[in-house]
Amino acid sequence: MAEQNGGGSVLTKKEFVSDQEVRWCPGCGDYAILSAVQGMMPDVVDKRENMVFISGIGCSSRFPYYMNTYGMHSIHGRAPAIATGLATARPDLTVWVITGDGDGLSIGGNHLIHAMRRNVNLVILLFNNQIYGLTKGQYSPTSEIGKVTKSTPFGSLDRPFNPVALALGAEATFVARSLDVDRQHLTSVLKAAAAHRGTSFVEIYQNCNIFNDGAFDLVAGKEHKTENQIRLEHEKPIRFGANNEKGIRLSGRASVEIVDVEQAGEENLIVHDVHREDPALAFMLAHIATGPTMPTPIGIFRDVDRPVYGEEMERQLSVAREKLGVGSVEKLLTSGDTWEVA
Amino acid sequence: MTARLLEGSEAIAEAMIGAGCRFFAGYPMTPFTEVLEHMARLLPGVDGVCMNAESELEAIGMAWGAAATGTPAATGSTGQGLSLMQESLAEITLARLPLVVLNMARAQGDYFQATRGGGHGDYRHIVLAPIDVPEAVELVSLAFDLTFRWRNPVLVFGDYYLAHTAQSVDFRPPARADHDLGWALDGRSGGSGQAKLVSPLGGFKRKDQSGYNLATHYASCAAATAEMVAGVTPLADVGFIDHAEVVVVAFGTPGRYVRAAVRALRADGVPVGYVRPVTLFPFPSEAVARACEGARRVAVYENNQGQMIDDVRLAVLGRSPVDFIGGLSLDSSGFGIAPDLDVQVLRARIEEVFTK
Repeated sequence: MAEQNGGGSVLTKKEFVSDQEVRWCPGCGDYAILSAVQGMMPDVVDKRENMVFISGIGCSSRFPYYMNTYGMHSIHGRAPAIATGLATARPDLTVWVITGDGDGLSIGGNHLIHAMRRNVNLVILLFNNQIYGLTKGQYSPTSEIGKVTKSTPFGSLDRPFNPVALALGAEATFVARSLDVDRQHLTSVLKAAAAHRGTSFVEIYQNCNIFNDGAFDLVAGKEHKTENQIRLEHEKPIRFGANNEKGIRLSGRASVEIVDVEQAGEENLIVHDVHREDPALAFMLAHIATGPTMPTPIGIFRDVDRPVYGEEMERQLSVAREKLGVGSVEKLLTSGDTWEVA
Repeated sequence: MTARLLEGSEAIAEAMIGAGCRFFAGYPMTPFTEVLEHMARLLPGVDGVCMNAESELEAIGMAWGAAATGTPAATGSTGQGLSLMQESLAEITLARLPLVVLNMARAQGDYFQATRGGGHGDYRHIVLAPIDVPEAVELVSLAFDLTFRWRNPVLVFGDYYLAHTAQSVDFRPPARADHDLGWALDGRSGGSGQAKLVSPLGGFKRKDQSGYNLATHYASCAAATAEMVAGVTPLADVGFIDHAEVVVVAFGTPGRYVRAAVRALRADGVPVGYVRPVTLFPFPSEAVARACEGARRVAVYENNQGQMIDDVRLAVLGRSPVDFIGGLSLDSSGFGIAPDLDVQVLRARIEEVFTK
């Protein structure tokens, strides 16, 4: 990708930082994600005016204010629909959606699955903090069962969504997971998401230090990350643990299991393949953890090629023009029977 | 009087439960959120159910389902959430179901949404606008009575101040009338061979293949609406109108400030009166017209660009000029805290009307 802007000067991170005062709570995981996105933007676009950030409502949805690019702060849950319209009308623009577990999976769940199903050329970043922050602490569709919040004072009853599994089920062509606290990992995932054609869905574990502090400590925290982070790497056997002593293999019962590598043999481990057409294995990997409290895969689950909605639309339009000829408004308005009215 | 100091959202929640409400669904949104939270805390204790829905679309749907069983049900939100609910609200009305809906609005820009309805079709909702927490407790009780009496949704139109201000409240057990629940899908007709139907498309199942007769159904809904509009007593709070040269009209929270400004002006010998519609629909046109009868001018204060003023003009019917002395007033949060709600500001605006 070009690194020169129109004037021939090289864009840097600071050109993507807006003059707005960042208004998230001190210590919020959103700051780290913002900084990582600003830092990798020069690799994504060569002109700031070709970049659009679209958000809905929620803490994460303040994101567009802080990017010195085009942006839309829209209505609750609808960012994927608005982004679909924008990306289809202007395929030359790079469109990213910023959403959260409430905005994207609650009120906007319907819009999210259909944007992914259509494979619109979008990058969708879902900041998952497993809580409603902006309205001061109600449970979300990713909160664990039994979550006690002010709107669920006796504990929540519903089983949470697994955002990666949801995206795979909705036929997303690029599905990944990363962490707010791991700048290097997050940046590499974001770069791959940007390079993908079609919808790239990235779930980012993001700590809400006010209303759900430490929700991801067992996966993201220094103490436990070596035992609980399963780093997915393309074409490599899936191994993890302090000494890489554990691995994942097919269990033979249409599921996957964690095994001791020495006992199971490295040759029996799953070799991760992001380009695998069938999403079943990625789906199994998504389910190896029921929540971020046990060994949990991070990285790219799936990255496959499928027709992109905007390009298909363009193709359909050109076929129609070929078949029907270039239209004329004048001809349309005088077509069929006409009458002269005295 | 056994007074308790309660924040509006908590008082409203308790009033709903006192009025028999046993199902509530909502989605967090400021300044409505705390009503949902109090209902979540209180309802299980009376064998009721509260659900934090995935959106206002779901919340109204859940409440619709509960209401169809004859369970006293309520939902609510803030204006934007009410916008999402409009399709269901219209259909629930055409299905002739009782439901109480709260709008903890941000300022008063939702007057048209509330009184005209943002949905499709030929329907109306009863709209109640409390001035403060004690009156909200009474009107919530009235809302449940009216919604069951007329089998028609009733809106309670509040705001940030109502939800978040603590006031002393005296709870009296509401007089609960027995309403006929013969229409409810409560299993009572099980095995009788008399299938019941709750639907916005018709009130009973047809035996032939022609399906619903929408002409008949909509006509019967329209007749029920007309009966309701004629049958509901419009309410208004009227004060200081003796020999008033100017009468000021306001509703909801701003009514408190307008009333204080009018009282202060009267104390200084200024002949000014005050009318506050309590039911926004049916609008208390007669009470407004009577209060304004001898007035040289009528002034309307609303925290919006002027919506209720249309109804005031219809009530006054050109007998006196009607001036708008309101305007949208919000602090930077946009949640509905109004810098203009200040007795000195309102006094000055009312005095200005006297110079005309």
